[in-house]
Amino acid sequence: MNEERIKVTKNLLSDGVGLVAAAGYINNEGGQAIADAAAELMEQGCKTLLIDLDGTRIINSIGVSILLEILEKLMDEKGQLAFCNLTPTIAKTFEIMGLVQYASVYPDREAAVTAIEGDATV
Amino acid sequence: MEVVLHLPVVPNVELVAAKAVETLGGALGMHQTHVEAASVAMVEACLNAMEHGGGPVTVRLHSGNHAEKPCLVIEVEDHGRGFDPATAPQNSPAKVLGCTSKRGWGLTLIRELMDDVQIRSEPGKTLVYMCKYVESAP
Repeated sequence: MNEERIKVTKNLLSDGVGLVAAAGYINNEGGQAIADAAAELMEQGCKTLLIDLDGTRIINSIGVSILLEILEKLMDEKGQLAFCNLTPTIAKTFEIMGLVQYASVYPDREAAVTAIEGDATV
Repeated sequence: MEVVLHLPVVPNVELVAAKAVETLGGALGMHQTHVEAASVAMVEACLNAMEHGGGPVTVRLHSGNHAEKPCLVIEVEDHGRGFDPATAPQNSPAKVLGCTSKRGWGLTLIRELMDDVQIRSEPGKTLVYMCKYVESAP
């Protein structure tokens, strides 16, 4: 569970919707790698971002604070942030730090994509 | 069963302590979710100790009993200037957005993720004692 170097990938899921997948330790470096990927997707016009944390089992508060900054930037653009594949401890940490009050959480990527695409058709 | 670590202040050394939680918690039969909660608390305690203590950190892990329940005990000690736990900042999710500094969540997370937390601090020595029940509520 203690893989040091985070692996981050990004993809366009659909028009305006981006995916960042991150596996590894979310500390200051890991959080910044996710933030960089998120910024690139936002520059490509994404206002909805899904962050998939499958493979991430340990985080720290500095890394989560960087995720909060991503949330703020998206909210400034009237966008939205969603997460999927959170371990119970990561979900609780996000709850304690106020992240889930403003972001959506889904059990897995399929559920997240279904919900996000459903929102887009409304 | 006891593990003692003397951690130098180097990047990501807190993961060594988290690995010790994983190993000892697993040996005690703790549920993976509880092990991960204790690991995050350990990481936060080590980061606080390195940031505020400024020097090497001593970590002790052992099995114990608290309120007559078996538990994993973690103690993190540094030799910084110390602080008053009663006046340490308490963060709230209600005020996190729009706030310039989003730091200072360590103690809040530790208290929320562990079953018992006690802090003794004086100039030259701060000890964070925390325990997680082997059979904690998820």
